[in-house]
Amino acid sequence: MKSKDILATIDMIQKEHLDVRTVTMGINIMDCRGKDVQETCSLVEGKIISVAGSFVETCNEVSKTYGIPVVNKRISITPIVHVGAGYNRRDFVELAKALDRAATAVGVDILGGFSAQVEKGITRTDSEYIASLPEAIACTDKVCASINIATTKKGINMDALKLVGQTVKDLAEATKENDGFGAAKFVVFCNQPGDNPFMAGAIHGLEEADTVLNVGVSGPGVIARALERLISSNDPGNLHIDDLAEEIKQTTFRVTRCGELIGRRVSEKLGIGFGVVDLSLAPTPTVGDSVGEIFQILGVDDVGAPGSTAILAMLNDAVKKGGVFASKNVGGLSGAFIPVMEDAVLAEAVEKEALCLEKLEAMTTVCSVGLDMIPIPGSVDADTISAIIADEMALGMVNQKTTAARLIPVPGKEAGDYVSFGGLFGASPIMPVRNAGKSQRFINWGGRIPAPIHSFRN
Amino acid sequence: MANQMVISVMSKDRPGIISDVTGVIYSLNGNLADLKQSVLSGYFTMILIAAFEEEITSDELAEKISSVKSVTGLEVVVKDFDGSVNPEPASDQNGIYVITAQGINQTGLVARIGKLCFEYGVNILDFDTVLSEGRYSMILYVDLSGTESVEDIYSAVDHFGEETGLNVVMQHSDIFKATSEIELV
Repeated sequence: MKSKDILATIDMIQKEHLDVRTVTMGINIMDCRGKDVQETCSLVEGKIISVAGSFVETCNEVSKTYGIPVVNKRISITPIVHVGAGYNRRDFVELAKALDRAATAVGVDILGGFSAQVEKGITRTDSEYIASLPEAIACTDKVCASINIATTKKGINMDALKLVGQTVKDLAEATKENDGFGAAKFVVFCNQPGDNPFMAGAIHGLEEADTVLNVGVSGPGVIARALERLISSNDPGNLHIDDLAEEIKQTTFRVTRCGELIGRRVSEKLGIGFGVVDLSLAPTPTVGDSVGEIFQILGVDDVGAPGSTAILAMLNDAVKKGGVFASKNVGGLSGAFIPVMEDAVLAEAVEKEALCLEKLEAMTTVCSVGLDMIPIPGSVDADTISAIIADEMALGMVNQKTTAARLIPVPGKEAGDYVSFGGLFGASPIMPVRNAGKSQRFINWGGRIPAPIHSFRN
Repeated sequence: MANQMVISVMSKDRPGIISDVTGVIYSLNGNLADLKQSVLSGYFTMILIAAFEEEITSDELAEKISSVKSVTGLEVVVKDFDGSVNPEPASDQNGIYVITAQGINQTGLVARIGKLCFEYGVNILDFDTVLSEGRYSMILYVDLSGTESVEDIYSAVDHFGEETGLNVVMQHSDIFKATSEIELV
């Protein structure tokens, strides 16, 4: 090993925010069904504590050995509707409380999988689960919810779409003393993956083994600094966009390798299978850890300016190319995140009115995960929220990719007002929603948007 | 049985030192088993191991190499060597860590960290220093497999950082392999 490589790695960790964004343990809870809801709650709680009891401690130990921070330790579970089949909304609230207790007991930051998959049809259980969401999320601290309402193979469930628009409103209203923070813990998906380690959309898919460990890498800060170094060490005119893409690829390789190593070692110590590395570039509100900053370095003065979509396409592709080579198995979402509130530079672009909802939507056609962490006025009606989500679902459905929407209608606040959730959830001005109230007839059709044709792709 | 020698050569650096020294070994029908050379601030140093079928003593070999006509002069030491040229690694790789210490240069740093390693039974496998943009860095590959407690060494390393004002970290070497090499670790 060369000393300069060692020092470069140390600099990446200490100065450029290289970390492992999350190690997420997926746990199957299908065997936790009891004779009544109390017994089910107790079995779920017991299983999580028994399987994940030493999880956080092991992550911390491995993190110390290799000198790489592991920012979040999380758990994902089998979508809750499967173990809660036949339960009513009150029962689901009890299950959410049990999950919250278990997450607190094992010391994880957050738990995902309070979820359902309703892309084709909604069962009575699914309806009860959806009805439980506002209270279940409002009365818990660590539980995250997600729902898959569309897939490329099945189309978009418009009945579910109508319900989720109202649910987003109800979640915000149920947590209005915290500016509608509850809506930040609920995400609506098209083509939801079963091995995504990132929240709020992590679930332990039915296709997974009993217990599995997935890792989410970070690294926008590392990539931004690598690009700055490359640009400053070259004469103007010598460097072209493919040189920058190559630098992103190589840097992503290093970033991904850190995640792969930490995930593998934690798996070995816990004696459970290692699943995937999710290659997503996940920003945090910390200055210098922003995906938006990379846009500026690559040549647009503000995120949202013409060229932003092309830059994101290049960035997303380069991240995948570097990451795929660095890891045995990749999965999850794997792309560049553009969560407005969680990225200081994106939030600044919103403030300058450089970045609007429509441009974000265009950008999500070339990256994962979608319209993420976007605060909108509390006055926007449920059907308009459903319609915004519908557009995002259509992008995922037609393009055979994962898309998602996490919109926060902030109660009592209007466009331009400021909202802050603190910590990793960040802060931003509220984005205006144009053409609100004009999509009601579309949303009220119900039924399903049929799955798209899989030939004649244009 | 071949007659093995370990040879150390030091000189002001110039082109041709390796050619001169190995030329002498070749002329004595010596077989070169291993070699390491390095240049530091314009000074060349080399250590090599060679095996000779013919009878030759370490003093005779030193004299022959020293007699090479060189504008810089070669400082040569030769010793008999009875070890194995490629021994198995002394420890399993799990015990190999890297300590890096970075900050403003000050006298006695290497001696102090060397003393710390000795006190805790830490074997230094390789040591490199880098001075770049006013920042002094020490990089030590260390083998902790002979130590009683890795935790104690973490504490000692932290304490060393506090005392010297240097930014000192100790990490398992796999993290650097992972970020720098193609092979999965």
